[in-house]
Amino acid sequence: MDRNWVVLGVSLLVWGLLFTWILRLERRVREVERR
Amino acid sequence: MPNAASSSAATVWAILRKECRSEWRTRYGLNAAVLFAVTSLTAVTFSAGRMPDRPDLLAALLWITLLFAALASMSHAFVREMESRTLLLLRLVASPTEIALGKLLFNIAFLLVVEAITVPLFLVLTGAPPVRLTQFLTILGLGTLSLAASSTLVGAVIAQTRSRGALFAGVSLPLLLPVLASGVAGTRAQWDGMPILADVRLLAAYAVALLGVSLLLYDHLWED
Amino acid sequence: MIWRIGIFLWIAATMAVALLAAPLVPVLQETTRVLYFHIPSAWITVVALGWSMLNSVLYLWRRDLRRDDHAAAAAELGFLFCIAATVTGSIWAKSMWGSWWNWDPRETSIFFVLLIYGAYLALRASIEGEEKRARLSAVYSIVAFVAVPPLMFVVPRIYQSLHPDPIINSSGKIDMDPMIRWCFFSMLVGFTFLFSWLQSLRVRVFRLERRLAA
Repeated sequence: MDRNWVVLGVSLLVWGLLFTWILRLERRVREVERR
Repeated sequence: MPNAASSSAATVWAILRKECRSEWRTRYGLNAAVLFAVTSLTAVTFSAGRMPDRPDLLAALLWITLLFAALASMSHAFVREMESRTLLLLRLVASPTEIALGKLLFNIAFLLVVEAITVPLFLVLTGAPPVRLTQFLTILGLGTLSLAASSTLVGAVIAQTRSRGALFAGVSLPLLLPVLASGVAGTRAQWDGMPILADVRLLAAYAVALLGVSLLLYDHLWED
Repeated sequence: MIWRIGIFLWIAATMAVALLAAPLVPVLQETTRVLYFHIPSAWITVVALGWSMLNSVLYLWRRDLRRDDHAAAAAELGFLFCIAATVTGSIWAKSMWGSWWNWDPRETSIFFVLLIYGAYLALRASIEGEEKRARLSAVYSIVAFVAVPPLMFVVPRIYQSLHPDPIINSSGKIDMDPMIRWCFFSMLVGFTFLFSWLQSLRVRVFRLERRLAA
């Protein structure tokens, strides 16, 4: 049980970071598109 | 309909003859290929020695030698055409597919000649065990088909780019990996006395797929 | 914005349920968890590469450069998801059989796919001129995709493999505990939406590049 929580934590962290990075990318794309 | 088909066939045949003639005149490609194959063969067999009891290594070495000889010598078919600007002339008289088919047949013949010299030499130098002729030749033949089909297609694509040599090998190699894998597995199996059906099926399917799809695409490769 | 958060929550929730609540597949034991990432990655690889091929065909037919954008974007993403599939597969192999790489037929196949599309990217990078690049890489993409289905689906069935029997077998029946099945399909859906999002983003970047270059 314990190990599952660790794996979940790590996965969520990685996923969260990835997601944030994609959002940031999109924001930059939108900025350039507006010009 | 019969007329169109037979004139197509005649065109392809004419292109094939032209390729053979121009190759025979200089023999650059053939010389290079045979030289490359024999040299790498010598280097390998010299350092590895005789391996009558290692069919796995033998199979791998044979196919790698063939593969690299092919890659070293086949890129020139279309490139030479581009460089001498005869492609434009060709395209006035023949459709892209006919041109490609002619070159494909030439490439097959070319590879067969290279193999006729290299393979027996390989078997002798490495002290390979006797081959089961039909099985061995089937695998070799099907692999050659794929080699030729892939080289013709990639050659046609690469001829229009700038960085030709390394790109040709780099792009061809991944496409040929399945051929390498099945060819090696099949060649090894025929030495081990195991069935080769799975490998033959894969080689045949791959060759047919490659030939089929590339022949469909040649008409779209050049822009006017 | 809502749907983006939706994607995030969907995948996060699926992860949570899969890792905490779903049972283990008997044969796989603890390594069961990898399948929620590994198989969707492999599946999206095929979807992405198929989409790339489709757009390549459309490009050759209509010569619309927007199709080339889609083809290139999808091939890149397919390549990335293929890396993910290969890496998760390797992790799985390590925990199940003790070694990172075995040249098992399935491992070899996915690696070949990786190389074939690596070559696609190298090809694109070396051609100048939009139309020429689009045309040549479209041809390669179509030829390359001819190799993908046999490699991914046929080879593992012909050759003996250490790889667990395709859970989604040829008859289409799915042989899983319902909870595992739900989590698995949920992850598949999540990944598909993620791919869609990434694909549209990448295409937008391509379009911008073209606009800026003009």
